Amino acid sequence: MRDRLIEAVFLGTLLLLALVITRSGSAYLAQTLFNAGLAILLAIGWNVIGGFTGYVSFGQVSFFGVGAYVAALATTRLALPWPMAIAAAALGAIILALPLGLIMLRLSGIFFALGMFGLARILQISVSAMRVTGGPMGMSFDAAEDPHICAAVMLLVAAAALAATWLMLRSRFGLRLLAIRDDAVAASASGVHVWSVKVLAFCLSAALAAVGGALYAWNLGYLDPSSAFNGTIELQSVLMVTAGGIGTVWGPLVGGATISVLSTFLWARFPMEQQIVLGGLTILIAVAMPGGAMAALARRGVLRRTPVWAPPPAVTAAPATAPAMPDKRAPVLRCFNLGIRFGGVLAVKAVDLVAYPAEMLAVIGPNGAGKSTLFNLISAFARPATGHIVFDGKRLPPLRPERLARSGIARTFQTSRLFASLTVWETVLLAALSLHRNRRRARTEAARILAQVGLLEQWREVPETLPPGRQRLLEIARALALQPKVLLLDEAMAGMSAEEIARVHAALRHAMAGGCAVVAIEHVLPAIAPLAARVQVLDFGVTIAEGHPHAVLNDPAVITAYLGVELEDAADVAA
Amino acid sequence: MLTVITLAILGLLWGGVYLLMATGLNLIYGVMKVVNLAHGDFIVLGGLLALSLFAEVGLNPLAAFPIAALVMFTIGAGVQFGLLEHITAAGSEGELRTLLATFGLSYVVANASFLVWGSQFQSVPFLEGAVQAGPIAIPAGLLAASLAAFATTLLIHLWLTTTITGKSLHATAQSALGAASCGIDVRRVRMLAFGLGSAMAGGAGALVITLIPFQTSTGGELTVHAFTLIALGGLGNYAGAWLAAELLGLTEVFAQFYLGSNAAAAVIYIVFIAVLVVRPQGLLGQAGRV
Repeated sequence: MRDRLIEAVFLGTLLLLALVITRSGSAYLAQTLFNAGLAILLAIGWNVIGGFTGYVSFGQVSFFGVGAYVAALATTRLALPWPMAIAAAALGAIILALPLGLIMLRLSGIFFALGMFGLARILQISVSAMRVTGGPMGMSFDAAEDPHICAAVMLLVAAAALAATWLMLRSRFGLRLLAIRDDAVAASASGVHVWSVKVLAFCLSAALAAVGGALYAWNLGYLDPSSAFNGTIELQSVLMVTAGGIGTVWGPLVGGATISVLSTFLWARFPMEQQIVLGGLTILIAVAMPGGAMAALARRGVLRRTPVWAPPPAVTAAPATAPAMPDKRAPVLRCFNLGIRFGGVLAVKAVDLVAYPAEMLAVIGPNGAGKSTLFNLISAFARPATGHIVFDGKRLPPLRPERLARSGIARTFQTSRLFASLTVWETVLLAALSLHRNRRRARTEAARILAQVGLLEQWREVPETLPPGRQRLLEIARALALQPKVLLLDEAMAGMSAEEIARVHAALRHAMAGGCAVVAIEHVLPAIAPLAARVQVLDFGVTIAEGHPHAVLNDPAVITAYLGVELEDAADVAA
Repeated sequence: MLTVITLAILGLLWGGVYLLMATGLNLIYGVMKVVNLAHGDFIVLGGLLALSLFAEVGLNPLAAFPIAALVMFTIGAGVQFGLLEHITAAGSEGELRTLLATFGLSYVVANASFLVWGSQFQSVPFLEGAVQAGPIAIPAGLLAASLAAFATTLLIHLWLTTTITGKSLHATAQSALGAASCGIDVRRVRMLAFGLGSAMAGGAGALVITLIPFQTSTGGELTVHAFTLIALGGLGNYAGAWLAAELLGLTEVFAQFYLGSNAAAAVIYIVFIAVLVVRPQGLLGQAGRV
């Protein structure tokens, strides 16, 4: 808390100082501060999509240009005053980004980065071809009268954007963004609506760039396509964020301030070499100091990201009132005739599965029997080619995984998928937030579940520092935080110590006592046998046995599937 | 009708040039799993080298072709050895950092070329006549450049598939770990791949500058051209890449003729984005992830 106060005071002073200098200094100084503010704003905008969402863009300048042109047209054609023109620019960028995000965010990595680059070029060519924008010759209009005011507005906007990202990273939206960046699949299994969060971030980032563009137009009073969609702006945005620290709150401020000063200096003294130096710096940072300045500071414990809504509240005694027990004999989950084919291989063919509340069904079978694929079908990560699922008495329509996770089917993954940059606390909180809108409720629930699996003391740790067994435990806790009616565990106890298995058993018993049905894939049968009421055995995508554990394990078909046929028997068969 | 046939022939010939431009990028993408964003700037640099060789020594572009390729090979291998090899992070972080480094590199190369050659459009005159085939006239320069490009691509392909070194490149592209466990020096292969890819860019540049004038800022556009092609064609798929090159060549030539050069530039980007959107994984078969 004290650290944050120091941060706030420090930044407030900095802003105040900048504003005073803007008001009283020379016009040249005001312009330099304007450029710095603009650089910081653009860096913040780029960081929202490139850093927090993990979509590196080489076409963020698209929105800068669109914002500049929208604002310029709004003042010249519609005679709007500048504040409204700037708002119109933000709105225009969002209107453009919304459909565009739906298309472009389907791409990933280099495809997104280059796709955005192409978009900037398309926009530049289009604007050059338009008459209303003055075509390639550009358009001029009334600029801001007083450069001092212009610079002050710029600095205030940049400060507001910084404050907004600071707040964002301490909100559920920020938490979800970070989770998606780390692992989108695991985020949707935690009930996060991946798609809308990404599109929202894309729109936010576009709006920030557009406001930057509008202020740039206001400052200059002149626009042409090659300066509005200038590649240098793109290079600078990327460089500022990577130099400062990608995916951090303060990175864009640090990087934006230093790089803009350097860039202004270069432009004044070495205009021809400016881009070579900036490009060279980009290479240097990518090769030699990946985390930028913030990583170096974070290693010394300065300005490190603090966990969202931490620390966890103290956990009071276990809830006294047991939830109403649902009817035990009415199945909560029924799968009929599920099947899927990958290329020529029928991974799962016609599997039926029934799970009852408050009971565990163990699904076992040799490698490649189709167990995990079956889970993917049930949890909507893969779409079945045949068959359907009835959950909670209703036939399931084709849903997105996060909808299913929210409505009561939670899962873990065969190889654990945790969020590299989220703490133990945040991981469970993320899932709890998918269920509870109320912040206090979500925190209480998350803390309760952490206490239940015995991870509450380790709430600060990130997955990297947890031993493998604890990582699995955390994944189970994340699934339990969704308060599922059906919990799908995919070899959740592989690689756990006896003590950890005991913890999982306790947590599962607790969940089952609350009416949760558990379906567990397991290779190590003793790990699961004490809890399982029924066992279902898969081999080559079909069910070969089902029933009470003891009976199933002595079934000749099961023994054959696991151990093969003895040689003499095989000879008998052949004869 | 005659116009359409002529345009089609021109488009197919351009396809050869595009193929050479993209095969280098494809090679680099295959081995490094990262697109060299400076590829287009390497093409332009190769072209400008040919321009200087022509202007200073009077060398004809076909003779400048191997020299430009050799110089770019050295530069490419040097970039890999001196810079990219030092990015040690694995997985998506490594890819992202390599991508950012080549992004910076593209500005360095483009602006360094700008310092040397200036910003104006420049071209090398070469075989300015036309070859008459019945009623159809084909520019001799384009024919020669296209044939040279096709021949080079074919030779590289044969080298990749028949020689041990070529096969080790191929193997590294499919699995670096697997290749390393077979005793292949993956570091050397990466250097070779980046060098060879850059050499093809340089060679392509020497040919293309005879056909269209270059400006030092043309690089970005050429990178997108080449990337569109490999996204469309498919990694390591020779027939696919060739088909994509022809399609792109035809699109470009027809768009130029019927829509004008400005709109043609936009058309290429639209094709590019459409390809990405319709096939988010590209026809490469695997999701590109940074």
